[in-house]
Amino acid sequence: MKRTYIIIGIVVIVVIVAALVYYFAIPPKLERNIKVGVIDCYTGPAAMFSNEALDGFKLALDEINKEGVLGAQIEFFKRDTKFKVDIGLSMAKELVMRENVDLLVGGISSAVALAASDYCKAEKVPLIIWIAKSERITGEKGHRYVFSSGENTAMFGKAGGVALARKPFIKYWVAGDDYEYGHAIANAAWRNLKERKPEAEKIGESWWKVGEPDLVPYITAIMAAESDAVIFCTGGGSMVNVMKTAKATGLSDMVQVWIPTATDTTILRTLGPGGPEGMMGTSDYLFFHPDTPANREFVKAFQDAHGKHPGFPAFHGYITAYFIAEAFKKAGALDREKFIDALEGLKIESPIGEIEMRACDHQVVLPIFMGVTKKVPEYDFLISTDIETMTGDEVMPSCEEIMQARGK
Amino acid sequence: MEIGLDALASQLVVGLSRSMILFIVCAGLSFVLGVLRVPNVAHGSLYMIGAFSAYGIAMRLFGGSSAGFWLALILAPLVVALVSLIAERVLFCHLYEREHLMLLLFTFALMLIFGDLVKIIWGADYRSISAPAFLRGSVSIFGAPIPRYNLFLLIIGPLVAIGLWLFTNKTKMGKISRAAAVDREMVGVIGINVSWVFAGAFVIGCCLAGLGGALVAPTVSITLGMDHTIIIEAFLIVTIGGLGNMWGALVGSLIFGVTHSFGVLIWPQFAIVFPYTAVVIVLLLRPRGLLKSVW
Repeated sequence: MKRTYIIIGIVVIVVIVAALVYYFAIPPKLERNIKVGVIDCYTGPAAMFSNEALDGFKLALDEINKEGVLGAQIEFFKRDTKFKVDIGLSMAKELVMRENVDLLVGGISSAVALAASDYCKAEKVPLIIWIAKSERITGEKGHRYVFSSGENTAMFGKAGGVALARKPFIKYWVAGDDYEYGHAIANAAWRNLKERKPEAEKIGESWWKVGEPDLVPYITAIMAAESDAVIFCTGGGSMVNVMKTAKATGLSDMVQVWIPTATDTTILRTLGPGGPEGMMGTSDYLFFHPDTPANREFVKAFQDAHGKHPGFPAFHGYITAYFIAEAFKKAGALDREKFIDALEGLKIESPIGEIEMRACDHQVVLPIFMGVTKKVPEYDFLISTDIETMTGDEVMPSCEEIMQARGK
Repeated sequence: MEIGLDALASQLVVGLSRSMILFIVCAGLSFVLGVLRVPNVAHGSLYMIGAFSAYGIAMRLFGGSSAGFWLALILAPLVVALVSLIAERVLFCHLYEREHLMLLLFTFALMLIFGDLVKIIWGADYRSISAPAFLRGSVSIFGAPIPRYNLFLLIIGPLVAIGLWLFTNKTKMGKISRAAAVDREMVGVIGINVSWVFAGAFVIGCCLAGLGGALVAPTVSITLGMDHTIIIEAFLIVTIGGLGNMWGALVGSLIFGVTHSFGVLIWPQFAIVFPYTAVVIVLLLRPRGLLKSVW
């Protein structure tokens, strides 16, 4: 009798252990594919960046979907915001209500990103912004449902301010595109510069409308002011214009110029070998740096797929896909709240090494590469040289500062 | 900041050079407005096609050589001329009698179609071309550096103006076009094939948009959306100059370009306000434009 009890006991234990092993060792299966809604601008000048981000995203999805995520695939639905807030918001609503997407990603326009963020907060839908750079997205306006997988104006501004403070310049002129991104990065750079070098003096500012085709009058007026250095806060097509004009007028030879994304591959590739040398710039991704196997592998895969070197948008799109895949694996279910819990503090391997989605503000921790544009024989366009790397912790606002900005 | 005479002179030169690009584009728009009475919103798209064509010819066909640049200046407007000829023969020639509002909506639709065609052909990437070596860099004028390319534009602009004057005053086609601008029915009554006159006028007007696009290409990023910026300015300029009056387009361009340039020097944070303020003042004082409108 006693023996029977022992056998039954062993069987029960074995069954319980087997059940536990099955529960914990065999990953759960998702009941359907993961649906991602992409809202970005595919019309007009910003389309180049959005398309490249999507290319990077698709490249990663191709890799991820080979093995799948908990037995499911990641599929995406693309919508064009046309760089307009009202259209962006409509597209976000349409994707959530009609396509029933699990989360939204995208956004090159900070204004669209902030509007979509408000909507996602109300509807409790996760949103990952991959290009828009306003620090308000994960700073002052941040909340549980919004994440950023790219650097922001606070990070670029701090990197620029720190780098410029080491230079001997005193008199600065600040200029740029008259919109959210331009002013945000100018404020961040100037604030950080002044904190480190109180004697720095802003002798003037000029702001032109987004898409202004002729920057020569602005540049010649800046040259007349005889500043020591110029901070240009431009994005998109204005980057090419301002760099062309700075070279044509001789401004880039006359004074030191810093432009946040002057060293970005997307811009320098467009300018070709005739781009201006000696411009200080900032980027969170360079296809040749760091020269690691992971980065080389990513660059080769992107080149094979698209015939060009990846710029920062491709990198952002790529890591966004991996953050999504890893977060769903960790969450184990198609549940938006569990997905957010999983994404907070998540670390993934990326082409530039391990990166983390900071839990306190949902801002990805990325290093910033400061450099100077220069011609090199290896490429038919300028690249960033004399690279100085600032870690994410060095350039990001602290969690306390973020909470303070949010009034908590 | 103190504003010296050298800075003023420099801004004047820069403003004049920008005015030349505006004039070339606006003269084409005004010509089409005057002869065909078509408010062609797609004119900006033809300017964009001119810029993209210049890129294709200079960079893709000739690898960015100087010869490629000069050929692009000649061939890009011809590409635009071909596109506009097809559009005129297939579409516009059936619509001249329609209401202006209808034409406005039609050309708006055409603008969207051209935008998508450009995206299909050239993609969404930014494009850039370089001017020949001797037009790069700057020269010092009044103690201020002026890009050589802007000086080149200052030469091209008047040449185009002279060419247009010769065309409209010394050629049969030009005279017929002027006559059609005043009384198109009468031109038809005396046995002239008005349909082909209109086609010719439309192609010439659009060709100027293409030339403007090719000329501006080395100074800007060639990108989708460049049509939107220029078309708004172009309509303002032809309105203050006098609808359909090519010389009005010149006057309007000079006002727009120079006030903007001085605005940048005087109040850089709000420079954009200056040319639009000038437009408002002109329209308040002369609602039908500075020169005689043919509308």
